[in-house]
Amino acid sequence: MSVSDPGRGRSLLWTALLLIVVFAVVPALLASAGRSYLYQVANLIMIFSLLSVSMHLVTGVAGLLQLGHAAFYGVGAYCAALLATHFKLSIGITLPAAGLAAGLVAFLVALPTMRLVSIYFAVATLGIGQMLYVVMLNWVPVTKGPNGILLFGGLQFLGFDLSKPAPAYFFVATVVSVSIYVLHRLSHSYYGNALRALREDDQCADAMGIDTARLKLESFTVSGFFAGVAGALWAHTAGYISPADFNFNVSILILSMVVLGGLGSLPGAIVGAVLLIGLPELLREFKAGDYRNIIIGLVLFGAILFLPKGLIGETSALDLVRRQFGRGRSIPGHEGGVGWK
Amino acid sequence: MDYYLQQLVIGLSLGMVYALVAIGFTLIFGVLNVVNFAHGEIYTIGAFAGLLLFTSFAPPLAAVILIVLAVGALAGVGLERLAFRPFRRFTDEASLKSRAMREATLMSSLALSIVAREAIELIFGSQFQAVPFKLLLNNPIKLGPVTIVDGDLVILGTSALMLFALQYVLKHTRVGLSIRAVSNNALGARYVGIDTNRTIAWTFAVGSAMGAVAGILVGLYYGAIFPAMGFSPGIKAFVAMVMGGLSSIPGAVVCAMIIGVSEALSTIFVASVWQDLVAYAFLIVTLIFFPRGIFGGVRERV
Repeated sequence: MSVSDPGRGRSLLWTALLLIVVFAVVPALLASAGRSYLYQVANLIMIFSLLSVSMHLVTGVAGLLQLGHAAFYGVGAYCAALLATHFKLSIGITLPAAGLAAGLVAFLVALPTMRLVSIYFAVATLGIGQMLYVVMLNWVPVTKGPNGILLFGGLQFLGFDLSKPAPAYFFVATVVSVSIYVLHRLSHSYYGNALRALREDDQCADAMGIDTARLKLESFTVSGFFAGVAGALWAHTAGYISPADFNFNVSILILSMVVLGGLGSLPGAIVGAVLLIGLPELLREFKAGDYRNIIIGLVLFGAILFLPKGLIGETSALDLVRRQFGRGRSIPGHEGGVGWK
Repeated sequence: MDYYLQQLVIGLSLGMVYALVAIGFTLIFGVLNVVNFAHGEIYTIGAFAGLLLFTSFAPPLAAVILIVLAVGALAGVGLERLAFRPFRRFTDEASLKSRAMREATLMSSLALSIVAREAIELIFGSQFQAVPFKLLLNNPIKLGPVTIVDGDLVILGTSALMLFALQYVLKHTRVGLSIRAVSNNALGARYVGIDTNRTIAWTFAVGSAMGAVAGILVGLYYGAIFPAMGFSPGIKAFVAMVMGGLSSIPGAVVCAMIIGVSEALSTIFVASVWQDLVAYAFLIVTLIFFPRGIFGGVRERV
């Protein structure tokens, strides 16, 4: 591909635009507002974007309804918090460790449950998510139970002190952007197409030579890994975690983001996260914080009833992503063809 | 030894409650092949309706149970209307039990359950409601070596009565006949002139009525009525349904009793905060080793 290819130019333009918004426009706005509380909201939005995009890989692309995602988020958060408090490790070590721990737990959970389909899988993940939650709540010697864990010392990375709001924002933004880029490449590639095939009909995909059990296992593990990374980010930026951050309602909140944005649509998952975290914060400004959860429920119900495809449906999301972020590899006149390597 | 017997009785009444909730799940699953995630909230609504009745009119327990039955039935019909009917564009068997229908209603019932729970929380607050002491069903009764409370008897008696009533409704009334027909073969039922929509609404009414009564009974037994109370019995009843083989009512009842008794007996070995793990462990073991449920039965892939 030559550099003058218009597709490539546009793809670079869009990527650059997004990066400018995340790394320049938003921080500038936050700095001008000058309230550290708003930085926390921005971090929370980014962490939940990562959570909903990681759930999008399993629930949207691979079609496995996941009702226990918050548990992996919690495993990551507790892993990072315990490493940081007991061994004084910085986030450079706790972040990958949290991801690996959550990925490992997801892998172990996936081994026996991958045989299950549709609702049985959903309920198995719900059951396991609740088991992990009960453990976080009641294994007092390790997790300190409902009191939660306080992290002192702020955010340190490679000797740099990132505890101020702005550096913390940039750190979270970098980690989330890189993670979402990886998930984007996974879900918009032949690999993602294989996952979509097994969502549509896993027996048929199996018959066509796709190793469905392995794909499900891999996508579930990868999704768990990134949920764990999000958990570590949350533990370090919030400085305090408790089991209530990882209960069933949080799983449902993440699911609502994915459904609202459009099942199978990665941009939709991000939009869903921005809306469902951002809107309640706006409402809080107007002293309507009590209605937060009821609004989430109504939004979810309305989205299913009136927007069954979500805000950005999968088909239009795929079009958007392939056109704007496709690295200009689609051959003109062959857009309708197979694949997109 | 006495302690074991006592725990056994507690477990039996706990199991009966799970059974009442599980029946609603099972009936609805039989007819539509969907899981109704808002069933736990019906249980909560039953408890709150009963408490409101008690505190405002103080009627006798039997009257409250009858009114809660009606409230539950109404809530069930409303739920069906809002969360299930809009997604049922056709009434033939394929679309009634299709995957798209299943997933859409799964989410819509989940969404409605959030709305219902949060609405109750906004009105009554999220804390435990004050249940007047004289209403609590915990007057001790000595039965030989065991001491039980009258709540155990009330729960066991009411549940048994309702199970018999359900059996009568299903086997000896036209409504029951149409429920059984639709759950057996929806298209065939339509061919012989059964109104599927109406039957589905009836199914929700019957199932939800039993769930609502379970709610008020447990609320008075433990004195714990709060907006999130439906979550854990809902999950346990679901586990009972899966263990029992999904569309078998006797299977669900027996498994609900097994779960209730094991939970009560587990407190002998571990602290009671861990007893929730018992049901989840049953669920995982069942799904992995007995995907057709403990009592067998023919089923598609799980």
